[in-house]
Amino acid sequence: MPYDVIVIGGGHNGLTTAAYLARAGRRVLVLERRHVVGGAAVTEEVFPGFHFSECSYVVSLLRPDVIRELDLARHGLEILPLDGTFTPMPNGDYLWRVNDHARTRREIARHSAVDAEAYDEYGRAMVEMARFVKPILDLTPADPLSLKPRDLRQLAFLGRRFLQLAPGDRYNLVQLMTMSAVDFLDQWFETDVLKATMSASGIIGTFLGVRSPGTAYVLLHHYMGEIDGAFRSWGFARGGTGAISNAIAAAAREAGVEIRTNAPVAKVLLEHGRATGVVLENGDEIRATIVASSADPHRTFFGFVGREHLPTEFADDLSHYRYRGSSGKVNLALDGLPDFTCLPGPGPHLRGAISISPGVDYMERAYDDAKYGRFSKRPYIDVVIPTLTDPSIAPPGKHVLSCFVQYAPYHLRGSTWDDERERFGDTVIDTLSEYAPNLKSLILHRQVLTPLDLEREFGLTEGNIFHGELSLEQLFFLRPVAGWAKYRTPIRNLYLCGSGAHPGGGIMAAPGRNAAIAVIGDQR
Amino acid sequence: MTSRPVIIGAGVNGLATAFYLAKAGLRPLVLERSERIGGAASTRELAPGVRVPDLTHAVGPLRQDVADAMGLASRGVQWLRPAVDSFTPGADGRALVLPRDPAAASAAIGEFSARDAARYPEFLRELGSIGAVVSGLLDEIPLSIDSPTTGELWRLLQIGRRFRRLGRQQVFRALRWGPMPVADLLTDVFDTELLRATFCTRGVFASALGPRSAGTAAALILEAARQPSSPFAPVFVQGGPGQLASAMAAAATAAGAEIRCGAAVARIDVDDSGVCGVALSNGDRIATTTVVSNADPQRTLLGLVDPVRLEPDVILRIRNYRARGTLAKVNVVMNGLPSFAGLKRLPAGLTPEAALSGRILIAPTIDDIERAYDASKYGQWSAKPWLECVIPTLTDSTLAPSGTHVLSIYAQYAPYRLREGSWAEARGAFQQAVLDRVSEFAPDLPSRIVLTETITPADLEATHSFTGGHIHHGEMALDQLFIMRPTLGWAQHTTPVAGLFLCGAGTHPGGGVTGANGAHAAKAVIAHNRKGSRA
Repeated sequence: MPYDVIVIGGGHNGLTTAAYLARAGRRVLVLERRHVVGGAAVTEEVFPGFHFSECSYVVSLLRPDVIRELDLARHGLEILPLDGTFTPMPNGDYLWRVNDHARTRREIARHSAVDAEAYDEYGRAMVEMARFVKPILDLTPADPLSLKPRDLRQLAFLGRRFLQLAPGDRYNLVQLMTMSAVDFLDQWFETDVLKATMSASGIIGTFLGVRSPGTAYVLLHHYMGEIDGAFRSWGFARGGTGAISNAIAAAAREAGVEIRTNAPVAKVLLEHGRATGVVLENGDEIRATIVASSADPHRTFFGFVGREHLPTEFADDLSHYRYRGSSGKVNLALDGLPDFTCLPGPGPHLRGAISISPGVDYMERAYDDAKYGRFSKRPYIDVVIPTLTDPSIAPPGKHVLSCFVQYAPYHLRGSTWDDERERFGDTVIDTLSEYAPNLKSLILHRQVLTPLDLEREFGLTEGNIFHGELSLEQLFFLRPVAGWAKYRTPIRNLYLCGSGAHPGGGIMAAPGRNAAIAVIGDQR
Repeated sequence: MTSRPVIIGAGVNGLATAFYLAKAGLRPLVLERSERIGGAASTRELAPGVRVPDLTHAVGPLRQDVADAMGLASRGVQWLRPAVDSFTPGADGRALVLPRDPAAASAAIGEFSARDAARYPEFLRELGSIGAVVSGLLDEIPLSIDSPTTGELWRLLQIGRRFRRLGRQQVFRALRWGPMPVADLLTDVFDTELLRATFCTRGVFASALGPRSAGTAAALILEAARQPSSPFAPVFVQGGPGQLASAMAAAATAAGAEIRCGAAVARIDVDDSGVCGVALSNGDRIATTTVVSNADPQRTLLGLVDPVRLEPDVILRIRNYRARGTLAKVNVVMNGLPSFAGLKRLPAGLTPEAALSGRILIAPTIDDIERAYDASKYGQWSAKPWLECVIPTLTDSTLAPSGTHVLSIYAQYAPYRLREGSWAEARGAFQQAVLDRVSEFAPDLPSRIVLTETITPADLEATHSFTGGHIHHGEMALDQLFIMRPTLGWAQHTTPVAGLFLCGAGTHPGGGVTGANGAHAAKAVIAHNRKGSRA
């Protein structure tokens, strides 16, 4: 029996699209290349007893609509809070921000009384702006050149909302959309370590430095989680990030979705310029009315469709769409907890994120290396120890430590990642050991994922974790290609439902949901 | 009866404002702090009989309607357009020459890459057509976002329609290009590194960003908007940029303006109904209800107005306006032309003199520019700066005796705020770094040098009153352009102080010797007066 819809890729977005379409009565098949579902939102037992969330390791913006509509709690999703960010400093001091506003304020006051004052005002302003921006995540981006009532209505809606903001917030918003994270933060704060740690969120998934314009708006993400009310800003899924994908998969299966793993797709079948199904790498042909790809645009169009079947302009624009992965992961199995010189002992500071971002110059120098094709000698590292919140993922008394590392440019000059992999791992561990000298003695196993590994193992082109850089010219109605930001593609019946579509990467599931809505709308 | 408006500063924009206000019968009084008019556009005798462009060596180009209205042609202003846009020597001894004629430029590029040769005219055309539409935005005072008038919305709609007429592909390209790093854009378009680097310089000129910083591609679009037909062709003025300022001053005076040099404004007096006068540093006081300031926004609002007259919010915003210069100027008098590498293999029909007559760019690769930028991020001057040089004596024999040449160099990055030491201490070493960098590509330069002077960002602040030493009166970054220049809500040449207007480069459409800011500001003042007289 033919399927109504084939979804390529069983990551969180592909599964979300599948679940929504099945709930709308479609017969849906999900084809996943690997042996497990989840894509980059996956947890695997990499070493006996140790479950690593190999790629994505925290969750912040999973759309509340998706959680509610797919009833993910009933399907086993439980988000545990990740409280605070701890930044050790080379001078023996530290900055430790927690969700408790009053405590954070006192902590910041330890560094600067002025900044503590500004922190209140900053938080207020950011929440206002997050309120403005958040609904945009759930929109299908309007075409700014279209005169269709739908598009005009949306543009008018955005315009009206903008004018409804208080003049001060309007000013802040325009700045946020255009400025660099550091320039923006310079206006509020003077404490170097505070600015460095906050600005770090602006560079994740980009090939930009904290001083490059366009990095400020990501600062909002931190505040959007809060106002969703689902959980405060950042959290872990119990059982690891893969548990999110598993919950969505369970919801999908319940709605009737069939999920096949170990089923890599080779080609999208085309007849008269329409997608009619897929061919698997083993040669099997599977037909369907609709094909939705959650693979990135490069793999989808240049891999599965083929350049020769695409309009020239579309193919040209797509070839300028930038991936350039800039980050890697180092996952460690530990025999105990790292002991930070600046705040010894296994305190609650280890339960949140540990950010190696001691200063703005440090961040910039990390970026300078990447610009010239080297991984950072002293990288920005975002560390979490999920076993402190969820001991179930490691043997008793043991710990998992996950490091997100930037910059690790996909394109190395004068070397290859296969040659540099272990040196890269050593660099990360050496860097951390400067703050927690006992770390090296605790390591039982280590897994180093370079951008090349992310590409090989998880199918992320050039190792970009967001399916394409999250830079201004690749967002909203320009993602992935101007004129094709509404999940539809130049190939009829082929849809894009992954992070390469609006609103981009991160475990939001928004592209997956929006794409399903587009498919249903078109069939009506 | 309205009082006589006072214009602070006789730069190109102050003079343009003066002219238009005078023509409207307002008899403006221009007060210039120094003994010389022109601001950044001035010519100075550096050695006996040798005149150099003090700062700006290429002009705008000045907007045609301003030049026409002021009758500059009949006042002796002669535009010089060299046959060559740019000359970029490479490390391997070859040089890329781009003649103004696109076909000739294409042929020159063909020596490096046939693909790039084919793309070059196409790229210029595309940039030009986008620029032509954007120029519509530059020609207008940005709309008020708080209470746009019907007229403003109508004009915006017109510009929107012109945009649509470009075609989807072009519009989307413009929207995509603007926020991009100029290095990414050029790498997309061209394969030849010298060609990429040549254009990257236009993206970062005078800015505190590097070619890999996002938003630097917008500078190329702005450049194309000023001169859609040939975006990167430099324009000089016979006799140096000071000649332009003199002619503008003559036009303003003839129209009824009065210009007083050596009259430094120390304070703008404000009472409860707004501006009531200006106080000069010699103690004189001039009563007026209208002041138009050609000084930069920070100097005007934070330096000349009593802070109690401004909301704390406004003070904070103006303080946060970024104006930290990254440019230094080095002027060299030479007893002959230096022999640049690459001059031996010139395209047919091009003499060495002609090849060097446009911009000479010492910026062989994007990485070279980026590395120069890296130093400035950490508060150091670039050990190997990138340079934009002009030899004005090649196009204008009136500037120096025959055989003597002037090398006018803009050197970047020279950050205003040095982390260690002061510019007074660093001047000599930086000057040497600049000359060494030129000598890498013109080894006989040292033997040609008669005299050198270096103007650092600290000098620019002290002598030219540019806050932060920024020649554009503030960064021309995405967040400080159009409706956000100098700050959102005050982009229409008005300020929170009633009767105080801005007309300098710190307003829309930003720096460069275009006269547009001055012309717009005059319009704003006149419209304001008309409203006032009706009320």
